[in-house]
Amino acid sequence: MISPETNDSTEHHPEKVNVRILRQDGPGQPSYWERHQVPYEENMNVISVLQRIAAQSATADGRDVSPVSWDCGCLEEVCGSCTMVINGQVRQSCSALVDRLLEEEPSEIELKPMSKFPVIRDLMVDRSRLFRGLERVKAWVPVDSYYDMGAGPRQARSDQEEAYPLSQCMSCGCCLEACPQYQKVEIYRRPGETDEQFEARKNEAYDEAFLGAAPISQAVLFNSHPTGKNAKDERMEALTGPGGIQACGNAQNCVAVCPKEIPLTKSIGKAGRAATVHSIKKLFDR
Amino acid sequence: MSQSPTDFFTKHEFLIRRLHSLSGLIPVGAYMTVHLLVNSSLLNGPGAFQKNVNQIHSLGSALPLVEWLFIFLPIIFHAVIGIWIIRTGKSNHDNYRYVANWRYTLQRWTGVIAVLFIFFHVFHLHGWFHTDWWLKNVAEPFGMAQFRPYNAASTLAIALQGIVWPVFYFVGIVSCVFHFANGVWTMGITWGLWISPEAQKKASLVCAAGGVFLTVVGLSALFAAMSTDAQAAREIEDKMYEAAVETGELVDNPHKRSEEEIEAETEAEDELDDTTRRALEAAASN
Repeated sequence: MISPETNDSTEHHPEKVNVRILRQDGPGQPSYWERHQVPYEENMNVISVLQRIAAQSATADGRDVSPVSWDCGCLEEVCGSCTMVINGQVRQSCSALVDRLLEEEPSEIELKPMSKFPVIRDLMVDRSRLFRGLERVKAWVPVDSYYDMGAGPRQARSDQEEAYPLSQCMSCGCCLEACPQYQKVEIYRRPGETDEQFEARKNEAYDEAFLGAAPISQAVLFNSHPTGKNAKDERMEALTGPGGIQACGNAQNCVAVCPKEIPLTKSIGKAGRAATVHSIKKLFDR
Repeated sequence: MSQSPTDFFTKHEFLIRRLHSLSGLIPVGAYMTVHLLVNSSLLNGPGAFQKNVNQIHSLGSALPLVEWLFIFLPIIFHAVIGIWIIRTGKSNHDNYRYVANWRYTLQRWTGVIAVLFIFFHVFHLHGWFHTDWWLKNVAEPFGMAQFRPYNAASTLAIALQGIVWPVFYFVGIVSCVFHFANGVWTMGITWGLWISPEAQKKASLVCAAGGVFLTVVGLSALFAAMSTDAQAAREIEDKMYEAAVETGELVDNPHKRSEEEIEAETEAEDELDDTTRRALEAAASN
């Protein structure tokens, strides 16, 4: 990556960057605030701040603590795994630049894990409900068969242009964090429970809860795909089932916070129209 | 296995929420529009208003059935499901200060205000039930059931004396109209009528214009009721009542002009006489 030119913000930068972190030692444990301080460096992002904090393993007042945990992958805002709540706004920590954050709030940077997902540790959360949502709406193109089905039908240019923005979703969870209709579902592991049993219990709880914008938009994407269309009715069943499209309250925060600027409310509108048609068809077709 | 209410709601969530959405327009919203328009006919004087009220009451003994089936029960359904919907969400406009998010929160607040307003408004003027026992032991001791349909404008003017009730009606009308106008906008998204952001923008302008119009209509009716001279109105109403009973347009119904009510009115009229007399004296001395 080409490093951006040093700008004027470095002229009056602080010596130290204060960071306030909402920590949690494990699932079901109480959360607590901790203050950290790292030396300012040029072009820092929240990930590099967290790297310094992990290296120090000590709070601002010099108390030794375990390193703060967080999740990250690509470091270029395409994997979604480093999403957290920074200064009260959900976003990716890799693309959250310290200079910009200090412009927003000069005294400190506040880091919290996303509030809608179970915390694994500190800033790491379990986003499996989002991935379960993609399974619920069959967010894929069904191509498995016993023989070669040949090339699929051609997709019109205009359809491609509609579909491409939706395909940029990285399942980061920003839309779900900002959604007032999406509430946290946290299932704790019982003593002696196997992985499979725990997974099954989690999925049971997830399957009744609201899907949220990202899976709804993916259902719309694959319903518009020439081959993906084959599973349209199954997707519509999921979208009109428990926790489906109807739970949307039209606050439209999803589209406002989406880092990929995906037209999520347009997808929700399309899914709403498809749900209207699907349910009326179902009512009179039986 | 017995089904708990939550299970029932979760299972039929889509249907219930779509019926809730529909009931907001038909019949509740449509009824409110007609109601406000009929009220505003009071601007043309007590006679014009009385004519409209007589039209409604020419339904005679079928009126309570129409009221409960097409007005009260749909409103109760919309309110109960609405409160259940409010409980599924959690407003977050503090962190996400977007216009649509504010509207999400306002839609819920105005909904709660509308429930309280409609409950007390119907109790205040209509009384909810018209059995002798209820009127004598519940409604009238609380000063409720003030409206007499065969003396529409005069009883309304008397009921709206003071400052508390006009403020109550002002807040109620504005909340109900906002809830309706914004509700039509979100309904269009829910059912898939306006999908793209551009279409939603245009629709919101149309809904806002409709909302402003209904606010003007509703508040002008309130203004007209407050500035009606009860005694002058009473004379017109009495003439119209006699003519209507004679021609068979209205059926004589003591509940709509009861003995007790006349007694109560004489009291009010005496007060009114005093004020009118004083006003006349003041005018004469000038």
